[in-house]
Amino acid sequence: MAKKTYDLLFKLLLIGDSGVGKTCVLFRFSDDAFNTTFISTIGIDFKIKTVELQGKKIKLQIWDTAGQERFHTITTSYYRGAMGIMLVYDITNGKSFENISKWLRNIDEHANEDVERMLLGNKCDMEDKRVVPKSKGEQIAREHGIRFFETSAKANINIEKAFLTLAEDILRKTPVKEPNSENVDINSGGGVTGWKSKCC
Amino acid sequence: MEKMPSPGKEEGEEGEEEEEEEEGAGPEGALGKNPFQLTAEDVYDISYVVGRDLMAIAGDSRDVATRVTQLQFKIVRVLEMLEALVNDCNVTVEELRMERDSLRKEVEGLRSEGQPPNTEEVNPGTNKVVVDLTDPNRPRFTMQELRDVLHERNKLKSQLLVAQEELQCYKSGLIPLNNSQLARRDPQALMTSPSSSKGGKQEKTVIRKLFSFRSGKRT
Repeated sequence: MAKKTYDLLFKLLLIGDSGVGKTCVLFRFSDDAFNTTFISTIGIDFKIKTVELQGKKIKLQIWDTAGQERFHTITTSYYRGAMGIMLVYDITNGKSFENISKWLRNIDEHANEDVERMLLGNKCDMEDKRVVPKSKGEQIAREHGIRFFETSAKANINIEKAFLTLAEDILRKTPVKEPNSENVDINSGGGVTGWKSKCC
Repeated sequence: MEKMPSPGKEEGEEGEEEEEEEEGAGPEGALGKNPFQLTAEDVYDISYVVGRDLMAIAGDSRDVATRVTQLQFKIVRVLEMLEALVNDCNVTVEELRMERDSLRKEVEGLRSEGQPPNTEEVNPGTNKVVVDLTDPNRPRFTMQELRDVLHERNKLKSQLLVAQEELQCYKSGLIPLNNSQLARRDPQALMTSPSSSKGGKQEKTVIRKLFSFRSGKRT
């Protein structure tokens, strides 16, 4: 099977409050586009993007979660499958920054222990509406030992850099092996299997 | 009494007619009316009729005329009393009607307001939501149903991506047609979803499968 289109598959997850721009960040990365209309994500969605790192073709399967509390039970069931999690807040929304600790707790509760985490302060193009100083983002990231970027999906600032850095961090810990005919597997929701196992 | 019967009878007959056709009974009709339906207008009609009859009697002699005049004062007084009573009665009826209407409205308002609390009483509990069944946007799917639909959507989406990728390979000539059997493996592997099987042990296998990068053959 010569024609495998990628060498590795990394599963990433975007989390954070509703409206911070998770979907826009992903859309910028996957399609290099930006849309100002706000459409709340329903439950969970994903996009695929293949990147090349250290001579390896890496397929990134990026899961985009709904930030709204009402989808919480659905979205948390996808944490387990993730190898990297991007926690996004909005620098113009203090509440979304305050909730970082809540999201970090969710990661602790639902994700794999060795998951790579990253903090993104999105909408950094809106300097005039900023309420969260960059230093505060850096500080909380340092406290938790995770990487931090300020990004703008709209102005295309640090988006690709953030995804590639996260992928590199995951690649660094990945034992060097070739994939077999592994494919994009969407049966990742730990919750789905968990639920099924409960009724069997 | 002896003199009155003849017009009285006429009045009575006309009165009966009047019950059938209210309009056009003339002043005499007022005497045949149900006293509880009497209006001030009817009292004036009665006054006119009585006055006319008295005039007819008084025409004969002076002695009679004097007595008729005395009687006339009494009749006028009685008519005045009747007028006052009729007016008062009508006002009261109107007041009662208005009050009845406003009370009726109040009851209707209370009934429509009162229904939701009644339902709440049926389903007590602080975390319960009352759903309006007539609202086209009412919530009607469970979280589990949404989860299943999203799961299926994402499965189909990933199958589409795989198919598109494969198609691209064929188009660009990367995969010769006789290799198609091999290439078809991928979508098939994808179809096997963990939901179609598995208990606790199997679940682990599925997760491991997701994150293991077993060696594959590249040529």
